[in-house]
Amino acid sequence: MPPKEAIVLPSVENVEDQQYSFAVEYTGPPVTYDLPRAVPINVEKIPVAAVVSKVPLSDTELHIPVVPPILATDRNKFSKELLLQPTVSPTSVIAFEERVSEDTNNCLLSGELSSYESGELAELINNNDSSSRCLAACSVSNEHSSKLDSCDCFDKSRGSSSPARISNDNLNQPDWGSNESVLSLDYPSSRVSSLKIGDCNNESNGDVRRPQVVTFRDIESDDGLDEEFSQDEVQAQVVRVQKEPQTKGKKGLCYRCFKGNRFTEKEVCIVCDAKYCSNCVLRAMGSMPEGRKCVTCIGFPIDESKRRALGKCSRLLKRLLNDLEVRQIMKAEKLCEANQLPPEYICVNGQPLCYEELAILQSCPNPPTKLKPGNYWYDKVSGLWGKEGQKPSKIISPHLNVGGSMRPDASNGNTQVFINGREITKVELRMLQLAGVQVAGNPHFWVNEDGSYQEEGQKNTKGYIWGKAGMKLVCAVLSLPVPSKSSNPCGESLNSMNSRSVPDYLEQRTLQKILLVGSPGSGSSTIFKQAKILYKDVPFSEDERESIKLTIQTNLYGYLGILLDGRERFEEESSAEMRERRSSKDTEPEAGSSDDADSKTIYSVGPRLKSFSDWLVKTMVSGNLEAIFPAATREYAPLVEELWKHTAIQETYNRRGELEMLPGVASYYLERVVEILKTDYEPSDLDILYAEGATSSNGLACVDFLFPQSSPDENIDTADQHDSLLRYQLIRMQARGFGENCKWLEMFEDVGMVIFCVALSNYDKFSADGTNKMLLSRKLFETIVSHPTFDQMDFLLILNKFDMFEEKIERVPLTRCEWFNDFHPLISRYRTNTNSNSINNNPTLGQLAFHYVAVKFKRLYSSLTGRKLYVSHMKGLEPNSVDAALKFASEILKWDEERVNFSLSEHSFYSTEASSFSH
Amino acid sequence: MSVAELKEKHAAATETVNNLRERLKQRRQQLLDTDVAGYARSQGKSPLTFGPTDLLCCRTLQGHTGKVYSLDWTPERNRIVSASQDGRLIVWNALTSQKTHAIKLPCAWVMTCAFSPAGQSVACGGLDSMCSIFNLNSQTDRDGNLPVSKTLSGHKGYVSCCQYVPDEDIHIITSSGDQTCVLWDITTGLRTSVFGGEFQSGHTADVLSVSINGSNSRMFVSGSCDATARLWDSRVASRAVRTFHGHEGDVNTVKFFPDGNRFGTGSDDGTCRLFDIRTGHQLQVYYQQHGDNEVPHVTSIAFSISGRLLFAGYSNGDCYVWDTLLAKVVLNLGSVQNSHEGRITCLGLSADGSALCTGSSDTNLKIWAFGGHRRVI
Repeated sequence: MPPKEAIVLPSVENVEDQQYSFAVEYTGPPVTYDLPRAVPINVEKIPVAAVVSKVPLSDTELHIPVVPPILATDRNKFSKELLLQPTVSPTSVIAFEERVSEDTNNCLLSGELSSYESGELAELINNNDSSSRCLAACSVSNEHSSKLDSCDCFDKSRGSSSPARISNDNLNQPDWGSNESVLSLDYPSSRVSSLKIGDCNNESNGDVRRPQVVTFRDIESDDGLDEEFSQDEVQAQVVRVQKEPQTKGKKGLCYRCFKGNRFTEKEVCIVCDAKYCSNCVLRAMGSMPEGRKCVTCIGFPIDESKRRALGKCSRLLKRLLNDLEVRQIMKAEKLCEANQLPPEYICVNGQPLCYEELAILQSCPNPPTKLKPGNYWYDKVSGLWGKEGQKPSKIISPHLNVGGSMRPDASNGNTQVFINGREITKVELRMLQLAGVQVAGNPHFWVNEDGSYQEEGQKNTKGYIWGKAGMKLVCAVLSLPVPSKSSNPCGESLNSMNSRSVPDYLEQRTLQKILLVGSPGSGSSTIFKQAKILYKDVPFSEDERESIKLTIQTNLYGYLGILLDGRERFEEESSAEMRERRSSKDTEPEAGSSDDADSKTIYSVGPRLKSFSDWLVKTMVSGNLEAIFPAATREYAPLVEELWKHTAIQETYNRRGELEMLPGVASYYLERVVEILKTDYEPSDLDILYAEGATSSNGLACVDFLFPQSSPDENIDTADQHDSLLRYQLIRMQARGFGENCKWLEMFEDVGMVIFCVALSNYDKFSADGTNKMLLSRKLFETIVSHPTFDQMDFLLILNKFDMFEEKIERVPLTRCEWFNDFHPLISRYRTNTNSNSINNNPTLGQLAFHYVAVKFKRLYSSLTGRKLYVSHMKGLEPNSVDAALKFASEILKWDEERVNFSLSEHSFYSTEASSFSH
Repeated sequence: MSVAELKEKHAAATETVNNLRERLKQRRQQLLDTDVAGYARSQGKSPLTFGPTDLLCCRTLQGHTGKVYSLDWTPERNRIVSASQDGRLIVWNALTSQKTHAIKLPCAWVMTCAFSPAGQSVACGGLDSMCSIFNLNSQTDRDGNLPVSKTLSGHKGYVSCCQYVPDEDIHIITSSGDQTCVLWDITTGLRTSVFGGEFQSGHTADVLSVSINGSNSRMFVSGSCDATARLWDSRVASRAVRTFHGHEGDVNTVKFFPDGNRFGTGSDDGTCRLFDIRTGHQLQVYYQQHGDNEVPHVTSIAFSISGRLLFAGYSNGDCYVWDTLLAKVVLNLGSVQNSHEGRITCLGLSADGSALCTGSSDTNLKIWAFGGHRRVI
């Protein structure tokens, strides 16, 4: 019968669908409810009636399709467990036996076990509010296999000595078996196992734990969960906004098309519980930016009863969408903000939590597992944690500052025995008795997180509750928590380290490190600053700005000093010139009186300013500028203002081209000297960008950044969007540390790529010892490229200061640097006609030269390493240019990851990449 | 005087210096009629023998997630601090192999670490050009990180090595890539004296290592990329007491001999050498011929408590145990059973000489001790 039914129903449905699909087309907008409701009901009634009437076995028929899938899954699980049990249970008893023999507590423990069998189990099964166990059941079933594995290992190590005895125990009493398996599981891993007992109960009750088909789960579990939830609501005293679905159809119908029956697969909205059939689900839920929510429910908090279903995909969705989409939706569902547990739904010691407290709770080394809304009590001293009015369920990290203070009746105990001011439950009392704690006379105990306890008002520690060998077993039997393994008494610092190091470690996986190096003056610091400004919300902290401000001011005094130095020189020159002219003009010199007046040239200053400038120059020469100036700013600001406005300085400034010491950026600051040297000066981003030596004073600087989401006009596919979430770390190493050995380079073996920065405009500059700066850069480049640490590293050469280069190349031939002496550009005859040559695809001299230099470096690189070099040009002061170059770097990194897949087209890709970028 | 003239003079002076240096070397060669090994043989000393079970790995300290770069022992309580590529310092109890502190560093590129003599604080330095001091007793902050209690900044290059002045918790000597060594006062955070640098006669390349004389804490020795080691008196910053030539590559590591009259060096040229600080002579070269042409660099060395054994880690993964007297390799720690999977990057002997700790690029540290009834040597 069932197979026949199965054939009939789909066919009917199919016919329905086809007819019905027209109706859907007409009534697309859900605003007009009356029309669609009227029509489908009419249409539906006929086939429904037909089906039902056709099949005579109305009730039993209905059940048959329900039961088989459940039974099937259950049976699978059951059989699996049965299969596994022989491997599990021996270990349990062996472990158990050994322990018993060790402790010579035989009768006590076995008595405990039997009592547990009769009393506790029944209690557990009867326990209506098995929410936490239900919840944990999922996780346990997930972990099941791995745990069993660990048991296996254990089995091997222990050796299987007496399997016979156990097997009869087990097979005769399946309930026992499951309990035993729980115990055995507990022993090696020492995990909280009360959950697993709940799990077993669930199974025996025939609950559906992880139904594959959504429909069944809804029908079966809705009631129970809702009920439980309403209880929670009352307890929590928080008014929840339960969002109702906009339309509500008959039970089992799709909420949108009002069709189908309870056996058609449906997807449920995790907010309003609306169910949609496969035809409607995509239309009702759209692109699911927050997971499976109706479009109208987006942004609303989810139905708490569905929390555990978060991120668990249904078969229906898998059929409708491709793998990648499903994965993304599930990820969004789990991680998006609206779906997170609202903190105010969790009450700890009668006080709803705030965000910070929830974060503390969830990020502590031993967080409560599967936190659900509700009322909890938390013993801050011992770390005991449980539901309000119940015994402890877990021992979490102690001393967390969450919630209020614990009430004595938090766990609703009636034993007159207190632990840390909480009256404990009977079960706990039992545990204490088994642990050998003297509980006569209703004592009050202080219990610390490591299990050490003392009587209230006394100093000496009386013992350790969990110290005894069998206590974990006892706790497991009583379904009481034991401290998790990591919180052993060896120290909390270790504990906290464990919990921190893991996320850090994971973070490192997604962090791509880029090392930025360059010889001094190559502008690598500008790139670094530019990256900070580009990608950070707050590029420079207050402290940084303050120190940068001081650097800029000190620099400025330095520039002033150079100017004053130049002024002195010009003054001498011009006065000498004047004297010469005079001596040549009038042969008889008029002594004395005229000398003073005549020596005054336009470069002369008054005595007050003169003394200041002398002092400034002297300080600068002796190298104490940094020590004196930032502090002296307030004092000298007016003096500097006066000085700057003086014609002598202005004249000198006009001849600044002759002062080779004065760097190019000096004029940028000197023009605004008065403003900058005020104490309340706030450097702008541009000021910072221009500032010399404003990145961390020495050594290394690094910045973490994300590339911001690309603007909407760039159409990138979803995979790319995912990639853009990659974090990058730009590490700039100052060139000062580059000895010929570069001992420190091996510290950077884990970087993803190296960006080497060269200032193009340096081709005509020479260092102090007369070497061309370009050649120095080349030498450094050779050292780094051929360093064994960077054996298979990708290099991106950035030819910086392209703007200055373009301008300079017109004046100074590239052949000034001997490395480039075979540069013979082909210059078009029509070049003079058009200024914007690039439009006509007619490269400028600068572009030609850039290509030439790039090729020079590429040849050098490939002769050293046999690989290809990526080259890009850049104008360090233009954000877009830096952005483009860094994006190019990230592309290389991405490409690098995928290179394995594309190794065929490697050559063509390489060559086009570099050239296509160099526009 | 024109620039050309000056250059000429400079070249001539350099030439003179080199000639003098060469003469000095020759003179030393003449005076050096024997080395330690030759003399010991002539005295009929027999080399040590080491069975495979004489030096046993008794602890493995696991916890770092990156290469271990540096380690240091406390003088007493048998604790170890180690610095790793993962940007953390971990303080270990060597006896129980438990971690007592894990310190996440603000700058992950750490190169060196040191334990204070009192065991109350640790210091570390690296590419941030600063030496950071952490007080182990201070309260951790919200994220569970130990705050930096002092930063010693002033170096212009990476901090390659640091060592506390023995019996003084307030003084530390650092070596740096800026060619200088610095003696710091930790309480004020200021430089007490700078050894080397621009206007002084000091190292002419990155200084990679320092070691303070255990018996006279005013003397310390430094090894540098200029292939020399220099002996300094910490009261006289202006010039080195003595310069030790001999190595043909960067001197990666220096370590004082337990008696304080000698020190050992390890270099990129694949040799370890023993120098005498009183005569300035080179006493012995420890070099093991390898089959292939590749010469492995010596990356770190340590002496046993008596000085009879020299432990030397090489860049090819070997870790030889030398008999210093007869210049024979008695054991290769890199190839014994349960040794490291990666190469050994740092070595340290406990203060009582009973245990050796090795750090490796396989992220673990191992503690070795003499097995059986062999006495501590």
